[in-house]
Amino acid sequence: MKSGIKSEVYDKLAGIAGNVSNSEIENWQKQGGKIVGYFCPFIPEEIIIAGGFLPYKVRGTGSSDTSEADEYFDTKNCSFVRHCFNHALLGKFDFLDAMIVGTGCDHTRRIFDNWQVAPLKTKLVYLLDHPRTMGTEGMEETIISYYRAQLAKMKEYLENNFGVEITVPKLRNAIKLCNETRLFQKKLYELRKVENPPITAAEMASVLMAGASIPKEQYNEYLKTLLKDLSSVQGVKKDYQARLMIIGPAIEDPLFYSLFEENGGEIVIDDTCFGARYSMKSFIDEEAEDPLHAIAKYNVSDVPFCPKINGSHKNRIEFIDKMMKEYKVDGIIGQGYVACDPWGSSFGMLSAHMKDAGIPYLRLEREYISTETGQLSTRIQAFIETIGGRK
Amino acid sequence: MNTEIKVEEVDIYKELKTEFGGLGANSFQGKMQDYVKSGTPIVACTDDFFPELFEAMDLPFYFVVRQGLESAFHAGRGPEAVDGYDEFNGASTLCSLQKASAYLLVKDLLPKPAAIVMTSTSCDAQTAVNELMSNYRPWAEVPRISVDASFEKDEASMEYLGKQWIQTIPFLEKATGKKFDLGKFKEVCEESNKQTQLLFDFQELRRAVPSPIRAEWGFIAYMGCRWSACGRQEGTEWMQRLYDATAQRVKEKKGIDGVTEKIRYTWFDILPCWSDKLFPRLEQEFGAVNLMDLYGYCAPWPSIDTSSLESIFTSMAKRFLIGNPMTRQIFALSSVYGGDAVNIAKNFKCDAVIMPGHIGHKDGAASHKIVKDMFRELGIPFFVIGCDVFDERYMDPEVVYQKISAFFETSGLT
Repeated sequence: MKSGIKSEVYDKLAGIAGNVSNSEIENWQKQGGKIVGYFCPFIPEEIIIAGGFLPYKVRGTGSSDTSEADEYFDTKNCSFVRHCFNHALLGKFDFLDAMIVGTGCDHTRRIFDNWQVAPLKTKLVYLLDHPRTMGTEGMEETIISYYRAQLAKMKEYLENNFGVEITVPKLRNAIKLCNETRLFQKKLYELRKVENPPITAAEMASVLMAGASIPKEQYNEYLKTLLKDLSSVQGVKKDYQARLMIIGPAIEDPLFYSLFEENGGEIVIDDTCFGARYSMKSFIDEEAEDPLHAIAKYNVSDVPFCPKINGSHKNRIEFIDKMMKEYKVDGIIGQGYVACDPWGSSFGMLSAHMKDAGIPYLRLEREYISTETGQLSTRIQAFIETIGGRK
Repeated sequence: MNTEIKVEEVDIYKELKTEFGGLGANSFQGKMQDYVKSGTPIVACTDDFFPELFEAMDLPFYFVVRQGLESAFHAGRGPEAVDGYDEFNGASTLCSLQKASAYLLVKDLLPKPAAIVMTSTSCDAQTAVNELMSNYRPWAEVPRISVDASFEKDEASMEYLGKQWIQTIPFLEKATGKKFDLGKFKEVCEESNKQTQLLFDFQELRRAVPSPIRAEWGFIAYMGCRWSACGRQEGTEWMQRLYDATAQRVKEKKGIDGVTEKIRYTWFDILPCWSDKLFPRLEQEFGAVNLMDLYGYCAPWPSIDTSSLESIFTSMAKRFLIGNPMTRQIFALSSVYGGDAVNIAKNFKCDAVIMPGHIGHKDGAASHKIVKDMFRELGIPFFVIGCDVFDERYMDPEVVYQKISAFFETSGLT
C-alpha cells in the first residue's frame, strides 16, 4: 500500500531499494571508487567511509531460491544467509572489492568460511571479531578496548590492501556524515508519530535500505529533500485499526510490510537491524579524541543490540518500552527467521514481558523472502482485529 | 522390533563405572539437594566455565546445560522438557538439550543460585539460554557476571579473557560470602593439570588397533575429570585407573569384547542420548566401532601456568579457547572444525567419518561442504545424517541405523 508520496527522490530511493545494484554504484565504480560489502550493523561503516570506500550492506533483494547456496549451507541455516550467499554465487555482488563479515551469529559467521572457498570474484574477505557481551558491571571499558583493537586491525586490513590511509580527521568526518544520516532518519521516523503518517512502513523501509547501498553524502542530500517533500504533505487518512511496533532482524522484503497494511495495521516504529535501532538510540561522539574508541563504545554499549549479544535483552526491552510510549503503539509484532535461535529465544521473553504489560503481542516465524503468505496474513488479520475489538 | 543390544562390560570397567557414579554422587552437583536444604550459596553457570575456581573456593556450582542432560534426557523426561519449552514460544529450532535446560529454568525447577557466571561461547543456543538465565523471572534479580570470550585466539585475546575472569573472584566473594585463597587455587589447578594430561594420554591409547574401548569412555572420562571431580585427587586416581586398565588392554591387543573390529569410524559430534539403540547394532552387524566423539576428543590442552594469579587466568583462557570441546570447534573457523575431524580420522586410522549433523549445531551445518571437501581430498568416506543427538523423535534411531548401513555399503566398507 502506498501513502501517495509525490516525491522524485522517494521514487529514486525506492528504485535503489528494489534492486541489488543501482546507478550510483555504477557511477562510483566508473570514477574508480572501491566498494566494501558488509552484513551486520555492528560492522562500522564509518571506518569504511573514512577509507574512501562505499559501504554496501549485502542483501538478498530479488532472490527467489537458494539452490546454489544450499551446497554450502544447510536448510538448518537461516534463509537470510542462504539468499544472500546465493546472490553472491550468482555473481550479483561481483561489484564488491572486499567483504567484511562479523563474528555475530553462527549462521552469518560461516559466510566468512564459505566465502573463502567459494568461486567468487571478490577475493578479499575479512572477519571482524565483535564482542558478544554487554552490560556487565565493571567490564565495559575492557570490552570496548578489545573491540577498539579489533577495529584497528580492520582499519589496517583496508589500508594495507588498498593503499589508503585512514586518519583521525577522516574518521571524524565519516562519523559526522553517518550521524547526519541517523539524524535525518530519526526525523523521518518522527513523521510517523502522527495519526496519519505521510510515509508508510514499507516506504520507510525502502528509504532506509537504499541508504546502505549508495554513497552517504548523496543519500543525506536525498533525505534532506525527502524530508522537505514530506513536510508539506498530509498523510492519507486511513482506517487502520492498530498502531504496531515490529521487532526482530532486518526486514528487506516490502511484501512482508504490505501484509500488515492490507490487514488494517499501521507499523509506526520498529526495533530492527538497520531500522530504528540504527537511528533512534544515540550518536557517535564526533569530537572524541580517539574516534575508534568512540565507534567501539557506540557499538558495544549504546546500541540496543542483536540478541546474539549476551546481556542485550534488558537494553532492548528498555528501548521497546520507550518507543511504544512515544509512538502510541497498540500491539507488538516479534518477527524472526526460522532457525534464528537468539531472536527466537528473545521472543519468548518478550512475549512474557508484553503479557505482564497487557500489550497484545504476535510472534511470527518466517523466511527471509515471503513466498507462502496466506497463513501469515491470516494470523496478522486475526491479531489486528483482536486489537481493533479492544479499542 | 527390539533394536537394543545389551553391552557387556568386562569387570574392571564395571568397577570404573561404579566409581564414576561415586565421583558424581560426591560432587557438588551430586550433593545439590543438601545445599539447597541447608541454604548454602550455589552458583549456576554455563558448561564451559572452568570448575577449578569453584573447587578452590569450595563453592557448590552446577552447569545449567548439564541439568538438561541429566534431569531431563537421562531421566527419561527429555521429550516432556522439549515440548514444555515449545509452549514458552521460544526458538523453535533451538538445540533440544538447550530447550530442556531452558524449560527447567523457565519452570523454576532448578536450584536458585546466589550468583550466575556466564561466558559468551560456544553457540547461539547457549547465548539464548544465557539470556534466560540473566533476565527471565526466576533469576532476574540474581547477581550475574557475563564474560566475553573472543573469537580470535591470539595472545591478546587470551589476556582479554583472563583479565575478565579475574573479576569473577571479587564478584563471587561478594555474592556468596566465600573466600578465595590463591594457594588453594594453585593446588587445584595443579591437580587439574594432572587430570588433563591423563585425559590426553588416555586418548592416545585409543589410537590402538583394535580399539581397546568404546568411544563412550572418552566422554565418561571427560565428565569425571571436568564435571564431577575437577582438581580433586579422587578424580585423578580414578582417571589413572582408567588409563592403567586401558593400557593393559592395548598391551594385550584386546579389542572391544564380543566385537570383531572391521570398520573404524568417528561420530563427529556429541554422543547421542540414544547411543544404546545404535552403536551396539553397528558393532554386531558390521563390526563397526565408533572411536571418537566431540567431547571425548581431547585436543592438547595447554597446562595451567600456576606461577601467578594472572598467569593462571591467562593460561586458563588459552586452554578454554583452544581446548574446550565445542568452544574449540564451534567457536572457531570451519578449518579448525574440519581440521579436528581430519586429525581424528588420520590419527585413529578411521575408515569413515560420520557427521550426525545435530539439528542444534547451525555452525556445523554451514561447514559441511568445507569438511566434506577435506575428506574427499583424503579419500575417506564421509556422511552427514541430520539427526537430533538428544531427542530421538526428530529422527528415529532405526532410520539413523539404516542410513549408516547404506553409507557403509555404498562406500564399499562392508
